[in-house]
Amino acid sequence: MPARKAILFAAAFAALSSAAGPAAAADLDIPVLVPVTGFLALEGTSQRNGAVLAIRQAPEGLTVRSEVIDTGTSPEGAVTALERASGRGTPTAIAASMLGTQMLAMLPLADEYGIPLVTVSGTASITERGNPWVFRFFPGDGVTKTAHARYVAEELGKRRPAVIYQTTAYGQSGQAHLRDAFAKLGVEPVFEEGVDPGIRDMLPVLTKAMAANPDVLVLHLHSGPTALFVRQAAAMNPGVPIVAGSAMHQPSTAALLEPAELKGVCAETSASPVSGGSPEMERFTADYRAAFGTEPDAFALGQYDGIRMVLDAAADGADTPEAVRNALAKGIYRGLAMTYRSDGRGNMAHSAVIVCYDGSSRVPAVVKRYDVAP
Amino acid sequence: MTGVAQLLVNGVALGASYALVALGFVLVLNATSAVNFAQGDLVMAGGFLAVALAGSIPLPGILLLPLVAALMAALGLLVSLLAYLPLRHRPPVSVFISTIAVGIILQNGATLLFGPEPKAAPPLFGGGTLDIAGVLVPEQSLAVVAVAGLLILGQHWLFARTQLGRRLRATAQDPEMARACGIPVTAMVAATFALGAALAGAAGLLLSNQFFVTPTSGSGLILKAYIAVTIGGWGSVAGAVAGALLIAAFEVVVSATLSYSAATAALYLALLAILAVRPQGLFGEAARSRA
Repeated sequence: MPARKAILFAAAFAALSSAAGPAAAADLDIPVLVPVTGFLALEGTSQRNGAVLAIRQAPEGLTVRSEVIDTGTSPEGAVTALERASGRGTPTAIAASMLGTQMLAMLPLADEYGIPLVTVSGTASITERGNPWVFRFFPGDGVTKTAHARYVAEELGKRRPAVIYQTTAYGQSGQAHLRDAFAKLGVEPVFEEGVDPGIRDMLPVLTKAMAANPDVLVLHLHSGPTALFVRQAAAMNPGVPIVAGSAMHQPSTAALLEPAELKGVCAETSASPVSGGSPEMERFTADYRAAFGTEPDAFALGQYDGIRMVLDAAADGADTPEAVRNALAKGIYRGLAMTYRSDGRGNMAHSAVIVCYDGSSRVPAVVKRYDVAP
Repeated sequence: MTGVAQLLVNGVALGASYALVALGFVLVLNATSAVNFAQGDLVMAGGFLAVALAGSIPLPGILLLPLVAALMAALGLLVSLLAYLPLRHRPPVSVFISTIAVGIILQNGATLLFGPEPKAAPPLFGGGTLDIAGVLVPEQSLAVVAVAGLLILGQHWLFARTQLGRRLRATAQDPEMARACGIPVTAMVAATFALGAALAGAAGLLLSNQFFVTPTSGSGLILKAYIAVTIGGWGSVAGAVAGALLIAAFEVVVSATLSYSAATAALYLALLAILAVRPQGLFGEAARSRA
């Protein structure tokens, strides 16, 4: 199995290289600068795969030069990758890191060089700095956490949530938006605690949360901690539902748990490719499986949609970075996950869904969709 | 009361796994006076090896354990050949850096081979839960404590009762004198790395079932091992075990009563207090008397 994965990994790079073609013949240059190592490697690899698949499926007549550069997880790693990608001329657009701190470091350079950054980062502040070159194809926390809180309060009718979040920037941003969203709904969490991603035992926080007598457990954790929490909660049977963050919808997270452990667990996300829903979505999922030997998630789909919008714009004649930026800023694109449209600040995604597991499989069903006007 | 017992059950299982990591760490430290900063990543490698073997050979974890330990011992030998022996006469910082490099190579190698997704190794026996006087005890936790305990006792037996153990101890205490006595010091050092990696592999299998394994999951473990050894007393095998159990119990209990952040802060405060009172660690004197 490992050998097969290594071959698939190499094949993905080889396929990307072959899609790129010789530099002189390329119409477009779209480097993929994302974290494929480090603590965000899981999500970053999904992001990379989504971009790679979109480039491989570029509209006929377009040749795309591309290169995957691992940014690691440091801001300087992202800046170095961007400098390297720009070393042989200005890229048409960049599939840029989903890590907020890296995006913040890349933004001034993108402005200086005039390169559109297409990302699935959820960090709110990257589109709050007046930078006209950033485009986010994943709903920000303002959208997803509102959906998260609304599902808890309006659909489940819960009024006493216990909120458990990660102590990372991702977790704290989500917690702040959850708190605001709950406040608007007149709901006051009975318990809130941050958990370091390296924590190996979730029983202490589960014990304390249950001592506060909540009627629902609301999680905003990374993939591994989410799976740990759900597993330990299933073993302890706390008797209250779990509504988790987007990490729970990732197939790799569900793969760590038995279907029975997932019974009744729900999660917010922008989309759930493995849940299907349309022939186009099912074709994307099949193509992704064939290309990478793994299941796609919302990050992969968001990045795929973003790069496809760039490529479609290029096919329509937008062949310079500035023309691509204008097309992204003003256009409306019907992607697989949703219809994208900039709110004037580069926020392209304005929908979120809630998925739930029924205990019989690791594939969730979409149970509620929330659309927010941009 | 039941809640505290429940927490302690988890804490003991976690501590037993930490103890295996710390033991491998202290073994290499004793034999070479070098700090092996790749020990946490060797645990990660053991976890992924268990996942890979389970994918090819559908056996319960307890039967995979010897295989994982043997293959990890071979990896330990390789580490000693590449990262320690060529540098042993250089300043200590050379080995320090080379073991960090080994850890980074292992992390990125794991990412290439297995991808970044968290993975779980098979359970040692089964996946059930026992209800003991209201305390829910996962069978895996019992198995982890039992296996870790056996491995710790086995290591004690090896060092105290066998010819190999005596040679290893002699090498650790005075390599030059050991060489003068005809002990193959280089082979003993390599054997120590192999044993340390085998213990890391066992810990990797035990931990990766309960807590999953990712390419970066070893990074935090080495810090835990380092603190356990410092609390217990550098060079003391018993101290490493006690230190690991203390850390796990401390983490679990303080986390449950205050918060995870408070537990982390309190752990380091306790470490400072222990070092202020006993700079040699809790078992430091015992270690010196044995030497």
